[in-house]
Amino acid sequence: MTRDELQEKILTILEKDFEFDHPGLDENLRDEHGFDSIDAIELLAKIEKIIGFSIAREEKEKAMSIGTLNDILDYIEALISARKS
Amino acid sequence: MARRVVITGCSAITPIGYGRADIIDSLRKGRSGVKPLRDDGLLTDYIHSRVFGTVDYSIDYGFSRQYRKTMGPVAYYACRVARDVLEASGLSSEFITSGRLGVSFSSTHGSPTVQRDIYKTFFSNSKSEFSSIGAVDYLKSMVHTTAVNITRMFGITGRIIASSTACTTSSQSIGLGYEMVKYGMQDAMLCGGADEYDTTTVAVFDNLLACSIAYNDTPQATPRPFDQNRDGLVVGEGAGIVLLEELKSAKDRGADILAEVIGFASNNNGGDLILPNLDGITATLQLALDDAGIAPGEVDFISAHATATKMGDVIEAQAIDAIYGSSPLVTGLKSYMGHTMGACGVIELILTLYMMKEGFIAPTLNLDTVDERCSMLRHTSDLTRTETNIAAVQNFAFGGVNTSLLIKNGRQTN
Repeated sequence: MTRDELQEKILTILEKDFEFDHPGLDENLRDEHGFDSIDAIELLAKIEKIIGFSIAREEKEKAMSIGTLNDILDYIEALISARKS
Repeated sequence: MARRVVITGCSAITPIGYGRADIIDSLRKGRSGVKPLRDDGLLTDYIHSRVFGTVDYSIDYGFSRQYRKTMGPVAYYACRVARDVLEASGLSSEFITSGRLGVSFSSTHGSPTVQRDIYKTFFSNSKSEFSSIGAVDYLKSMVHTTAVNITRMFGITGRIIASSTACTTSSQSIGLGYEMVKYGMQDAMLCGGADEYDTTTVAVFDNLLACSIAYNDTPQATPRPFDQNRDGLVVGEGAGIVLLEELKSAKDRGADILAEVIGFASNNNGGDLILPNLDGITATLQLALDDAGIAPGEVDFISAHATATKMGDVIEAQAIDAIYGSSPLVTGLKSYMGHTMGACGVIELILTLYMMKEGFIAPTLNLDTVDERCSMLRHTSDLTRTETNIAAVQNFAFGGVNTSLLIKNGRQTN
């Protein structure tokens, strides 16, 4: 999956499920859209469905510091890359 | 030093309407909110009782996802009535968030809809579905979900009481909130309870032989409190909330005082968890009068718990007779909407407030022939125009919990 395809899927989640209004790639989701720890946990469950494998506990803990849409994409790409290596 | 506590706001979502005008209209017209039980694809095929006190109208919640994400259906009810009361109250946001306003609110067991979905996942044998159970499901279904969703939505930082005691959930919430304000622990409390549409509750009472089953084809003919042909309770849904304030500050800010809470009592039967207990109930009624410092003859109206079970109504009638005799009018308000479980105490209090304000008492519906064992009471058989100065709202719960609340018309307090 390319980064653009991933971005489209995550944007859909943020806009449709989380009802964020057009989040920018580098916009702080916590400050601008109220993204919190509950959202992070919900997002992780959705990411697992996208990537098709379970995320380990220590990997999930890293997601708690996610700030922007770009952070989310970097996080997912790192997960996929770690599984491949 | 004890302070005087007044009710300055209320709102209810009930099977006979949402808000003051709808509910008063239903009471005046004798309109029942009992409807056929909806098929849930799970339990309804096995339940004998096919009736439910149903909220079947749409409600405009308007909650953003920021709040919805931790709410099950029961919290929607709770937050909606809380918003109604806070918006109408005129309380400043500084006070609401000051720590001097608390919340005493609960439901019988969180959100059963969400709990059922969790159990479905447990039995799905699907690893991917199992991983979908998360913190949000707990936040939606935990027993204090209503109270903390209210605090979250409005930034309330005072005390939380989540008294989950089955059918006395909200009457205890009000009583404990009253004591918080009376003894100076808080200056104001939002008090009440809610329960959502739930067939598991029907199944439980059905198995205990406590549900009405003889009127499945004529839902509005049941429940029948105090009637000789009653055959059990009807489970219902709904929510209600009252705002309690210390009298002086309520007066200083010019709040409309609906009533004063003048007494509260709660005790336990100390024995059987299901059967009603005459000694325990009688003691509660007397303890509330003692707390208020009034004589039984000063009470004009009793909102009876009156679930329409075969034994419960008889025991309650005996207790009322022992304490009050045949002086006060007695109505079983569950005849209009069934037993709204954790919400029944506050809803029945709010209906009593409305009737006090309007100057009438609604009759018990379906009371065609009074059971001779309950005939010693002064039943409200027709819509009665009367001024009510003091009213009692009494509720009793599985577990042997009993409550009695006494309120005084706010007309003279304003």
